[in-house]
Amino acid sequence: MSSLTLKERFSLSRFSSGEKATDEPITLNQRRIFILPTDRGLGFVILLALLLLIAFVYNNNLAYLLVFLLASIFFITILHSYRSLSGLVLRSGQSKPVFVGQAAGFNIHIDNSTSKDRLQLKINLLQATETISLSAHSQTQITLHSATYKRGWQEAGTLTISSTYPLGLFRAWSPLRFNLNVLVYPKPAAAEIPFPESHASQSEQGVTSKGNDDFFGLQSYQPGDAIKHIHWKSYAKGLGVFSKQYDGESSSQIWLDYIQTPGHGIEERLSQLCRWLIDAEQAGINYGFSIPGLKLEPANGQHHYQKCLEALALFETL
Amino acid sequence: MSINKNILIFLLTAIGLIVLPHIENLPPSVTGYFYLLLSWRFLGVWKPQWLPSKLMLLLLTVIGIAILYGLHEGIFGRDAGTRLFVTALGLKLLEIKSERDLYLIVFLAFIVATSLFLYQQSIFMAAYILVVCCVLLGTLVCINSNRSQTWQSLKTASEIVAQAIPMTIVIFILFPRVEAPKWMYFNDKHQARTGLSDNMEPGAISNLAMSDELVFRVQFTGAIPPSAQRYWRGPVLTHTDGKRWTQNRNGLSQKIDQPTFTGNAYQYTLLMEPQDKNWVFALDLPAEVAAPLRRNSHYQLVTSANPDKRTEYHITSYPTYNTGTITKDEYQEATQLPGPASANVTQLVQRLHGFDRSPDIFINQLLNHFKTEDFYYTLTPPLMQENPIEQFLFESHRGFCEHYATAFVYLMRVAHIPARVVTGYQGGELNQIGNFLDIKQAYAHAWAEVWLDQRGWVRVDPTAAIAPERIEQNINIDQQIARGIISFTPNTALAAVDWLKNARQLWGNVDYQWQRWVINYDNKNQSQFLSSLGISDLKTMIYWMADIIGVITAVLCWLLLRNPSKTVDPAVLAYQRFCKKLAKNGLIKKPGEGAKDFAFRAKRQLPEQATGIEHITQLFIKLHYGKQHGKNDLQQLNRMVAAFKGKR
Repeated sequence: MSSLTLKERFSLSRFSSGEKATDEPITLNQRRIFILPTDRGLGFVILLALLLLIAFVYNNNLAYLLVFLLASIFFITILHSYRSLSGLVLRSGQSKPVFVGQAAGFNIHIDNSTSKDRLQLKINLLQATETISLSAHSQTQITLHSATYKRGWQEAGTLTISSTYPLGLFRAWSPLRFNLNVLVYPKPAAAEIPFPESHASQSEQGVTSKGNDDFFGLQSYQPGDAIKHIHWKSYAKGLGVFSKQYDGESSSQIWLDYIQTPGHGIEERLSQLCRWLIDAEQAGINYGFSIPGLKLEPANGQHHYQKCLEALALFETL
Repeated sequence: MSINKNILIFLLTAIGLIVLPHIENLPPSVTGYFYLLLSWRFLGVWKPQWLPSKLMLLLLTVIGIAILYGLHEGIFGRDAGTRLFVTALGLKLLEIKSERDLYLIVFLAFIVATSLFLYQQSIFMAAYILVVCCVLLGTLVCINSNRSQTWQSLKTASEIVAQAIPMTIVIFILFPRVEAPKWMYFNDKHQARTGLSDNMEPGAISNLAMSDELVFRVQFTGAIPPSAQRYWRGPVLTHTDGKRWTQNRNGLSQKIDQPTFTGNAYQYTLLMEPQDKNWVFALDLPAEVAAPLRRNSHYQLVTSANPDKRTEYHITSYPTYNTGTITKDEYQEATQLPGPASANVTQLVQRLHGFDRSPDIFINQLLNHFKTEDFYYTLTPPLMQENPIEQFLFESHRGFCEHYATAFVYLMRVAHIPARVVTGYQGGELNQIGNFLDIKQAYAHAWAEVWLDQRGWVRVDPTAAIAPERIEQNINIDQQIARGIISFTPNTALAAVDWLKNARQLWGNVDYQWQRWVINYDNKNQSQFLSSLGISDLKTMIYWMADIIGVITAVLCWLLLRNPSKTVDPAVLAYQRFCKKLAKNGLIKKPGEGAKDFAFRAKRQLPEQATGIEHITQLFIKLHYGKQHGKNDLQQLNRMVAAFKGKR
């Protein structure tokens, strides 16, 4: 682990939001772990004061002994608190893009290579909190979900792993920051607006006026046909491989152009584009994609699809 | 309710245990109320629908307050406070909604545990509370570990307690003890203290003989009187009904002659511990006294200060004195008999020349009678109900000082010699360091006083005739008995129970040390003990405390936190070397991938190494996960990993 500059070391934000984000695995150690009493711990201190008062007023040595025992336990619990987190290794995992409104899942690997069981670790990320227990020499992966409201990169922010083990009087926590981002695509529009008509200028073969993808018939499979359109029923019957043909597809490709997309404002248009992208990809239509600053030739398939969605997610008006 | 059933059972058991010893301290209404609520809560663990509703809970609270109010104790002080906390604990048990409530209950339980120490401070009680504390802390571990095995939590809690003990002892020794200011004392009613009373029945003093409680301390300005002169005068008992001896209240006010004192005086400072009665036990016989002290006609000192507070008095006493003449009232009072003496008694007095010779001779004859006849001195004499004096003189021959004193006085009165019983303390343990005497309840004593012509009231201690050790030596009598220095029972009986005696002695010693070093470790003892270690002032005390706690913490850190991330299993280390070799071939084990899956993948990529990979993997699994493996397996694994060639 890289060392900290003096300024970083004394920065207060280390307590709450952690150090600089990293891709490296983080081992929890004295630099990362913070410990403070919980409200129950403060209650315990009040209890100690009360018991000390009783011992004092009645000059009772066994009462003193009990107070000192509890105070020592309170003190020693700090070490146990530290021990509940120290030595754990956390790593960030890959996360999948989502559409706005879907929960973004951030993956975290936690590795306990020590010979000590870790009980009731609380892992908090944004609003999500997970509680796990890790036995000695074991590892686990957890996914923390967080709601999405905006397209673009959603940062995981600070991940906090904490534990109140063993007595709940102290909370040891470690704020960690990973380069952990989820790409959030725009929310697909709900309204079913037909695909835009392709302009002659953009079309090479001319387009039928029908933008709908009505089922047209079956024809024998040609290499290049979308795998989604294979008619599995006939294949299963042993009749050979057929592709489903849709009206408007055989000859068609469409252009999804930001400029020509209906909608008020940028987000609405992007939503509509997103809807069309999904539908077009599902339908297996070749689609071209154009937004200011980016133009993609008509194509089809996951790679193309993701590239388009990514462009939508990260689109910024100039 | 989200609270684990196991945790609840665990906690409720601990609570039940912690209140259990209070049964003898608290009124039955409070303990009954508490255990009713506890049982209700226990039922609620399995039948949550039976738990009281909000309204019912309010009603129960009102009942609880009514019970407390009915006891008319307020809320302050030991008894009232304990009742309050026990009642609150019981009520809180029925209202467990969240984890926070569990914590509150545990905290209340700790307060109740502390209150137990205000009633009893034995080793057993301390051990009991320690165990219950482990259970309470175990509950907290349970809550914070989400583990279902409560046993494991209890083990963790016990470990923490064990780790805390060295630090506790250090703080206990070095934490400055300051006596609480006076305004902080609560006036606890019914705080019965043991001590002498203004009347005496058989067994009254032998009860005190077991008490190690301090009554007063005496510091002499000059020489300390020899133990044979350490008679601390308390109430004088003159009136008897044959069984019970009481102070004659009328006699206390009469005018008497001023005694004349001769010989050397003893000047001393007497520090009375809190007492019930306003008596001050001066060395026989006190001379000049200043307010608030007053000397009554029995030459006993009484104080007008509050006896409930520790108070210091300056007194001068003369061991040789002559009280002069006897008044008529005094004579009457000192020859009072409950009725005519029986034939047996008259015969005895006759035989010892009580009627025909001088009082001196009779006294000597009687003391000799006690010495030569088969009289035993015992703390546990047979119960003498009907006519204790005659029973003691003619049948049992076994008694404690009060039996000897009363029998002596009775026989004197039968012979028409004015006599009375004096109670007080005899002896005193010399504290070598502080050069003062500790007088404890165990030194309570009763002796006799006879009035002799020309000499006035003369002290006679008939117990001295039977147990001279008590007078000559300066040792706690019950300890002497425990150690067998004074033996009043036939030796044959002792031999049979020898091991039992040894055990009792050992225990007596442990208990004595406990009393001395733990219970009575007050500011005086502390400063004495610490100055013997060279720690004299508060600042050094705190430095030492901080230093030692620092060292203990460092040791604990080392024990708890050393090498937290190091994998200790050598098989894992060998396997990691193997993985490194494979990594050179681009075969990297994924985090979630098992050893077997990885081996399968590796074999496919490196078919020529398949047997090596297979063997290493199998051996590793056997060593790391298997229960049984031979000694040579690890060596073999290391050899095979070393021989394994990664590069193609």
